[in-house]
Parts: sequence; structure tokens; C-alpha cells
Amino acid sequence: MAGGGMGSWVREHVWEIPLRRYLSLALAAVLVAAGVFGVRTAMREARQCAPGVSRPAGGEECLGVATGPYDFGQDQFHQVVDSIRKENSTLEPGSYVTVALMLPFTSTAPTDLNDIEHQLQGAYLAQYAANHDPTGQPPKIRLVLANSGTGKDSWKPTVDQLDRMTRSADRLRAVVGIGQSTDPNKDAVAALTKYRIPVVGSSITADDLANGRPGRNPDPYPGLARVAPTNTDEARALASFAKKNASKPILVYDEPGDPYTNSLKRSLTSLLDISYDRQQSFARSDASTEFGNIVPTLCSTTQGTRTILFAGRHAQLQQFINALGGHNGCPGNSFQVLTGDEASYLTYDKNLDRDALGNNITLLYTSLAHPDAWAENPPKTGGSTADYDILKGLLDNDKRRPIGPVALDDGQLIIGYDAMQLAVNGIHHSVPRGGTTPPLSAVGRAWSHVRGPLKVHGASGWICLDGHGNPYDKAVPIVRLNSKNGTQFVQLAWPQGKPPTENCPMT
Amino acid sequence: MHTRLHGRGALFDADPAGLAPRLVGLVPGRHRAHSLEHPDEPPFVVLTGARGMGKTAVLGALRDAYQGHTPVALIDCAARQFAEPPTGRPPESWSPSAAALLVIAEQLAEPVTGAGRIAFPRLMAGLVAVAAGGWGDAEADRIRREVERILLLNDRGGKFGAFAGRWAGKVAAKVVAATTHTTPLVSGAIEATLESIAEGFTGHRQQKASEWYRSYPNAGGNAQRGLILLSQHFRDGGGSREHAERYLVRAMLADLTEAYTGFMARMQRLGRPLVLLDNAQTTPGPELTAAVLRDRAEGIGDRVAFVAARRGDGREELPNAARRQLAEVARRTDWAPDSAPSSRALLVALPPLGADDTLHIVGALCADTAVPSHLPSAAHRLTGGNPLGVVLLAQSAAQHLPGVTSLGELLTAEVRPAEDQPALPAHQALLDRLVPAEYLEELTVLAAAHDHGSARALATALLPDTFGPADIRALQTSLAAEGLPGVPDQFVGDPFVRALLLLRLHLRDEDHTSWRRAHETLIEHYAEPEQAPYRLHHELALGDAEPAVARLRDDFATADIRGWLRTLRFIASAPYFHAHDAEGRDFGGRGDRRAAVALGTTDAAYPVPQDVDAVLHLRIRRLLHAVWELTDPLVLPDPKVCDRLRFELEQLSNLRPAAGALLWRASRDWPAAVLAGRPLEGPEDPEDDGRGEA
Repeated sequence: MAGGGMGSWVREHVWEIPLRRYLSLALAAVLVAAGVFGVRTAMREARQCAPGVSRPAGGEECLGVATGPYDFGQDQFHQVVDSIRKENSTLEPGSYVTVALMLPFTSTAPTDLNDIEHQLQGAYLAQYAANHDPTGQPPKIRLVLANSGTGKDSWKPTVDQLDRMTRSADRLRAVVGIGQSTDPNKDAVAALTKYRIPVVGSSITADDLANGRPGRNPDPYPGLARVAPTNTDEARALASFAKKNASKPILVYDEPGDPYTNSLKRSLTSLLDISYDRQQSFARSDASTEFGNIVPTLCSTTQGTRTILFAGRHAQLQQFINALGGHNGCPGNSFQVLTGDEASYLTYDKNLDRDALGNNITLLYTSLAHPDAWAENPPKTGGSTADYDILKGLLDNDKRRPIGPVALDDGQLIIGYDAMQLAVNGIHHSVPRGGTTPPLSAVGRAWSHVRGPLKVHGASGWICLDGHGNPYDKAVPIVRLNSKNGTQFVQLAWPQGKPPTENCPMT
Repeated sequence: MHTRLHGRGALFDADPAGLAPRLVGLVPGRHRAHSLEHPDEPPFVVLTGARGMGKTAVLGALRDAYQGHTPVALIDCAARQFAEPPTGRPPESWSPSAAALLVIAEQLAEPVTGAGRIAFPRLMAGLVAVAAGGWGDAEADRIRREVERILLLNDRGGKFGAFAGRWAGKVAAKVVAATTHTTPLVSGAIEATLESIAEGFTGHRQQKASEWYRSYPNAGGNAQRGLILLSQHFRDGGGSREHAERYLVRAMLADLTEAYTGFMARMQRLGRPLVLLDNAQTTPGPELTAAVLRDRAEGIGDRVAFVAARRGDGREELPNAARRQLAEVARRTDWAPDSAPSSRALLVALPPLGADDTLHIVGALCADTAVPSHLPSAAHRLTGGNPLGVVLLAQSAAQHLPGVTSLGELLTAEVRPAEDQPALPAHQALLDRLVPAEYLEELTVLAAAHDHGSARALATALLPDTFGPADIRALQTSLAAEGLPGVPDQFVGDPFVRALLLLRLHLRDEDHTSWRRAHETLIEHYAEPEQAPYRLHHELALGDAEPAVARLRDDFATADIRGWLRTLRFIASAPYFHAHDAEGRDFGGRGDRRAAVALGTTDAAYPVPQDVDAVLHLRIRRLLHAVWELTDPLVLPDPKVCDRLRFELEQLSNLRPAAGALLWRASRDWPAAVLAGRPLEGPEDPEDDGRGEA
């Protein structure tokens, strides 16, 4: 055997004998399969961030649905995530359905992270309220975090996973959150609703990320419900406020803009009849330069307090305020800047020239919610102090687990709480008689019943949904951004000009 | 010492495949499958050749090549164990065939790479039945011993380790019990055996095996009855025993077929089992061969590759067998059987070794010694390629070089064929194996004879009176049956054997009396004038060259040159052992005076007879001595003498212008033939009978 060596030995003692050949081939196949399985498992484990969450090949973000306690590496979520874990761990298998809070948890922008943290806190409070409701209405609610990521397509693995969870023991029945009205989020909502997963948008405001649109396909997102009013409704509320509080406003708008800015611009121009000469556009890419040109024009207009309607995103708004209040502005003049809920992002923006806000600039904007909206002299309808006090009671409840520092000014906690409330409401109203678990399709259909006596008494006001899942005549708090951190409630405005009746949306 | 076989590539080659891999289905020495040339039924290969042609070596090499890779059995039919029954075993329950089958099966049962032991339940049951026929008054111990030996065939080791022992005890107990009861002994033993098979093996195959004897003629579907009949037939002897033996052969082949049948067998076993029968001309070789061939002819196939080796050409025993030279079957056999049983055999004649093979063997055996360059070709020329001769000469050379270098000395030097054997002269060792021992003495004397008549003269003069003419004829027949070639004008046809016998004759007595008497007897026997060449041949053998020189000289001027040259060759073919002195007497020195005479160095001192042509006389004398030396198989041709031979023939051609062309041609052909190791012929003389004209 010395001449032939190992190869010859293997050939003559294994390969040439069919029984040994086939046995060794089978053994080799098993070993290869085990090897492949092992390598794949090892790679998957290497890519895995936490149960249900992993880095896709070539990606850095941990995407997917965290079925266990996982804070996506964000320390500020840690406490509330741990509280959610503990709440989830109290649930008996089979007694619950799952609701996923889908937001870009791996975002690196501090303002986004603040919003996300606040919505997360609100969602946990709503989960706690649902699971600890004295009536004990089934099913219990398990809350999981679904990261849509920050990439263009990073939502895809998460959405696929959510779809699988609808059929697994997770019994996923709704997805809440979504975040801003961006194109990836639009695609994600389209995919989710294509899978027939009910979606409750918390801070979506864009007109085209909603059902009830004109044209052949009025409901492109079947099963989508929203807590926040559409941009058009916000603009209407803003316009109704402006009509009463300002004359001859000037519109500064983003060109070409995005679904949010465009719907805001469209509503303002049509409702307030703003002529072209009182419209100034800017390009997002060159905004600071353009604002340098726009501000002198604004300064040269009629003396007195000028009302400027701003249809743009918060980054450009911050630049615009800084330009308006800076040295090149027009000292001596005072401005009232009215804009949509994007301004709420400036609440904690360190780059904002807060001195300008203190002197001659008043920034008013429509907020999605505000803690003081129902504190004093609330209207008789459209919401109530009692509804808000439930949330307040939860915040003060020392039986629940800690959720970290609470900041209510930006309204995100309230809106997160209300979105979760709406989802829980839909789930509870879809449970078949004698059963404990609603079918997936029934939850989506439940949105059409959220009206009149079945409306949701949200902390941000009544949530009455029209036939397309959009809130009808939702209370829109107009708030002012203070020079120091924080906002100040100004007054409530209504898309319909006045609060809804008890039978909302029917008048 | 293990010697790789030379000159047998036609059998053992792997790529392209020789006969063995095509027959067995395995590459020799390797556990690698090879396609079968005759997948349905292999030919029963019978290697033929005279003694010393390497048949045993080939079978041994076949066993070595395949042992461990496929079941192999090698038996020597001439072995003592097949000649007579062991002590205490009555002849009615023993036969060479049955004994051979047991030995073959024992060897075949051994496990091989990838597969375990083979069980022989059919053969075992048959052999127990046969043995039982001899247990009439046997002791229980002997019965137990015999049964155990047979039953070990079924010992698969491991799980069945102690099985055979228990089984044997059980059968023996039953048999012993049967001797004291009314139950017939044989049927008791058979019943016990069949019961044991049924109890010991529960598998479907073993059950099938226990029922195999149901088909024995007149068994009436009862296996036990079949076995009883088999035992009876065996005891009856004669044709009945042959019938029973054939059935035993069939049982063994059926067991082998069973081992090679089925899914697991195909998954584990490569090729065919190999059974090797040496000396197959001796009982039980012919019986086993006939049984297998007859079954195959009757369509009872088996999967065994048989290779037998036998002396002689086997024409009488296998009249319809295909006959091939070994070289012809190197790539394919072109064998197709017909209806005759013997046509299922393929006789393959083993050829002598070539000069190159001789060179390789001498090189291999004398690896530690400096070998004179002439020795391999000289050995080949002397032995004619006889493998045994080449090997023994090489061994002798390895043991005696560099002191002894000539072939004659190597043949007389003592050689030790194996470490455990006594040393004896090489020619004696060769004769022991090349010539039937019982005829050695007679052949030693008769080797000098040329025909029946001269043999009779020698027998009368030198052999006992009991050895008459009929014995001479019987000896001739026996030599032919041994496969030794018959040659005109030589009683012993094979030149190598003849040279060895003549050497023995020469050395028989200290003073070479027998040698002299033999030649003198023949000189007297060939008294007639037309027998002169014979007479001169033997005179020359006794060292007297003068009459031959005178005769050739006188005839040269008038004789037909072709005949004259034939006569010259025949006279000069006289044996020459010890060197002769100037008077032709042999002496103990090492010199060879023939060369000196041929080269003319003795001419000055040589007294040329009166009244003769001195130049012609001396030339003829030189020529005779040159041819004598150059055609002596014990001496390597000397180039100088060759050159002289050419010169002398050239000169003679000038003296006979009419026949000059023939002499000229001989002057060119003969030295060339001598140097190439070929016998001298012609030139162009198809009528040459080696004797020449009177």
C-alpha cells in the first residue's frame, strides 16, 4: 500500500466494495449536510442580534421583530423594553394576541429616537391598561418591537416576518406605529396591508398614505387606520385658526416637496385663497441660501405682525427660523410662523436659534397631541379631560413598571398610547362570540365601526374613523414652541371648524 | 525467496488486462474490479507444459495475487493427503475427491476484504453423510473429530464461534447413540446433521440448503433420503462413487453460488472465487475437472474461476478443449464452448522464457553478486528458457560466483534449493524435478541413444536384464505424456534434459566407466558404413576427433555440400564434458582445448597424417573443433572462434567453386546463428534431419 498511499487504500477498501462505497457516501452526505447546517447555523447566529432580529447579509442594522427583550442597542429604550418584557412574560401561552410596534428603532437621529422612545412608552402604557383592565376582556395583548430600519428596503424582512407571525403561535393581529410619512414607510404599509395585516398609523399624516382617496382605487391600503388627522385636516384646522388669527399670510413652501409638504401646501392655498404673489418656494437642497433671499422679501412687506405659513420639513423650518431671527433678518418686525406637526421635532432641537423665538418670532404649529389640550375649558365634545386623565392615571400608576423619563410636550407618548388603544379596541371588538382570539381579517374590518358610541376616547381626543380608517374631525392642538425647551398649548383647532358631535363622524 | 514471475505477463498483466483479471474479475494484487471476458461462464483454464515450465509457480503467484481479495483455494493433486486415506479412516468412506473438496472449501471459506466467511452447508451435509458410512465401529472420539473438521466449514467465527463444537458434539452423540440402538447408523448421523442445520440456521438460505438433497436422484423429495443414497453410492464404489462425488462437487459449487447470489453479495463481493488445481493430471484432478465440466455442459452453471495445471498436453483427457499458446490469450481467449463437456476447458500451453526474462531472473537472484555478462544468455541457451533450469542455474551462480563461472561447473556445483533442504549438485537437483524419479536411472543411460535400436543396445549393455524392449517403449510413451518434445534421432528430445542426463551419465562413475561403455556400445552398434556419422559422433564424444576429421576431409571434394555440412554438424554435436588433453583424454583442468585447436594454435605441434592434403586436413580439423565448441550448450560461444569458423568456411568455399555459394552462405549464417543462440541450420535445407548423409 506504500506505493498507492492513502488514495489507493480508500479505493480498494472502500470505493471498490459497493456496500462500503454507499455507506461511506451516505455518511459523507450526512457529514456534509451537518457541516452545511452547522455553518449556516453559526452564520445565522453570528448575524443574529437577538431572538427574531438579525443582520441581513451585507447589512449593519439589526432588522426584524424582537420577540424577546431587545432594545436595538439604544440605551434610552432599555427601561421600557424591559417593562414590556416583564409584561409579556406574565401572559399565558394561548391567552394573547400580538401587536407589533413598528418604528425605525435603529435610527441614529436624536429627534427620531426621542419620538420613538415616547411612542414606545405610550404603547406600553396602553398594553398595560388593556392587560390590567378590570373587565379582563380577552385576549391579552403582547407587545413586540418591529424595526423597519432606516434603509430604503430595510422594512422588507421585518414585514415578511410579521406576516409569518400572523400564522404562528404569536398570533399577530395588528401593527401600530410606522412613523413618518416617508416613501419606504409607504411601501411598508402597502406590503403589510397586502398581507391583510391591520395597521394603525400613529404619526402618519400624509394624504397619500391614507385611504379614502379620489380616483379608481380609493382604498389602496385596506386595513389601515390612523390616529393622526391627515395633512389636509391639519391644514384645515390650521387654516381655521389662521383665518381667525391672521390676515394676508405668506406661504413659504418646499419645492418639489414630499407628500407631507405638498398636502400641507395644497390645503393651505385652497382654504386660505393665497395668491401667487404671496407664495415663496425653496429647494430643500439649497434651503439656507434661499432663505437668505426670502427673508429680506418678507421684511419688506407690510409692517406689523406678519403671518407666515410654512409648508416644509422640520430641518428646513429650523433653518428658516434661524434665518428669520438672525442678523440678516428684519429686527423690529415680528413674525408669526404657522406650520404643521413637523415643528414638534424642534422641541428638543439644539441647533434652533431659540433667542429668535424669544424675541420677535412666534412659532405656532399643529401638534398631534398636547398634554394641556384638555386641561382647561375643554370643549364639550371631541375629547375630554377625563379621557386624558386615564393616561395621566397610568403615568402616575406605581404598580406598573418603570418606563424612564417622561416628556409629554411633543405629543408622541399620547399619540403612541392612542394608536395602541385603537388597535386594542379593534382587537377586542373583533373577538367572535364565544371565542378569545379574533381572526386577522376581522380586526381590519373593525375600523369601520369606530364611530359614534364605539368611538375611541383617546387621550388626544376622540378617535372617530370615517369609512376609510381616517380620523374624522380630530382635535388639533395649536401649540407654540417656547424659547426654552417645551411647548405651550395655545388652543384647539378643528378640521371642520368646530368639534364633532357625539355621533361622530355623522353630524 | 519470493521471485516475481517473469515472462507471464499474458496472465498477470493489469493494463491491458491479461487472462487472470479477465477470468477472475479482479486486478491481480489489488482489490479492484475488472470486467469479465466471459461473464456467463468462464472457461476451465488448464495450463499445460512439461516439468519445470513454471506451472506450480504460476498457480502460487495466482494465489498470492488474489488471496484476501476473493476466495482462493490451491491444492496439489499429487499431495500425499489425496493419495491415501488418513490413518483409521476406512477406504469406503474416503476418496481423493472428497478429501480435496474439504480442503478446497476450507480455503475458500476464509474471509476476504469487504466480505465475511463463506458457509458450505450443502457440502458439509454431504461430507458428513459420506463420512458416516465409515463409522460402523468407530469410537465416539474419532467421529467427533471428523465431524468437527467438516462442520468447521460452517464456522463463521464470532457469533458462531463455539457453534461448530456444540454441533459436532450433538451429531457425535446421536451417532454414538445410533450404534447402540436399532436406528441405522448412517441415517442417524444424517438426521442429526440435517436437524442441526435446521436448528443452527434459521435464515431462508440455510433452510434452502438443508433441502438441497431433496433433488438427489430417487430421493423422492426427501433430503434425508437423498443424503442416505449419496452415502450408499459413495460406499458402493466404482461408477456409483463417481456419481456421488459429482454430487459433492455440485454441492460445493451450489454453496459458492449461494454466497455470490443476492443483493448483499453484490454489495460486498468482487470478481469470482478462484480454485487452483496443481498437478491436475493426478487423481483427484481429472475427476474434479470432469465433474465441473460435465455440470457446466449440462447447464448447471457455477461462478467459480478454475485454473488447473497439468503435465502433458491433455489431449486424451480433454479432446475437445480449445488449445492456445499463452501469448494468444494475452488479450482475449476467443473461446466458445460447444456441447462436449471438454470443450468447456481452455488449454493454455506455457512457453519457455525468453532471453530477456532469463536476464531478469538471473539479475534478480544474483542481485548481490557481480554476474559475468555472458552468463544470462548462456543459461538461456542451455536451458532453452526452461524456468526451473534458469532459476536453479541462477541460484547456483548466486551461491558460487565469482569462483565458478562456466555452465558446466555451475551444473556440477552443489546448490541448496531452499534453506531447509540439503545441498546437492545442481544438475541432480534439476533432474529430480525435470525427470520422473522412477525412470531416472534408465534415462541416464538411454540419453545417449538416438532411437529405439540404439536404446536397446544401451539397455542390453548397461541396464539390468529386467529392462527390456517393452520397457523402452513404455518409457518413450511416458516421456511423451510428460510433455517432453520428441525429436528425430534423439531418444530424449529435450536438449536441456538430455544434456543434464548425459552429464549425470558422465559423472556416474569416478572413472567415467558408464560413460565410456555407453559410447563404446553405440560405436559398436553403429558398425555399418552408412551409420558412420553416429559412430564418429560417439568417437568424438570419447575425445577421438581423428576419424571424424579424416572422414570429413575425404568426403569434402566429392560429397554434396549440403549433406556434408549436415554431417559436420551432427558429428560435432557430440557431448563434451571435462576438458580433453592432447590425446583426447579428459582431465580435471579447466581448459577447453577445442578453442585452441579451432584457432590453430596447436597446428604446429600436430602431426598431420601422411599422404593427405595437409592444409585441407588442418582446416577441416579446425572447422570441426570450432563447430564442436560453438554448438556445445554448456559453453558460451567465443567470438574469436566464431570469426575463425567464418574464415574456415570462406576458405573452403574457394576450394569447391561449384558449391562455393552454399559454403559462403554458411560462413555468414552460422556465426550469426551461434552468436544469437540459435541452433545451426541449413543453409536453406528443409530436408535436414540433423543426421547427415551416410
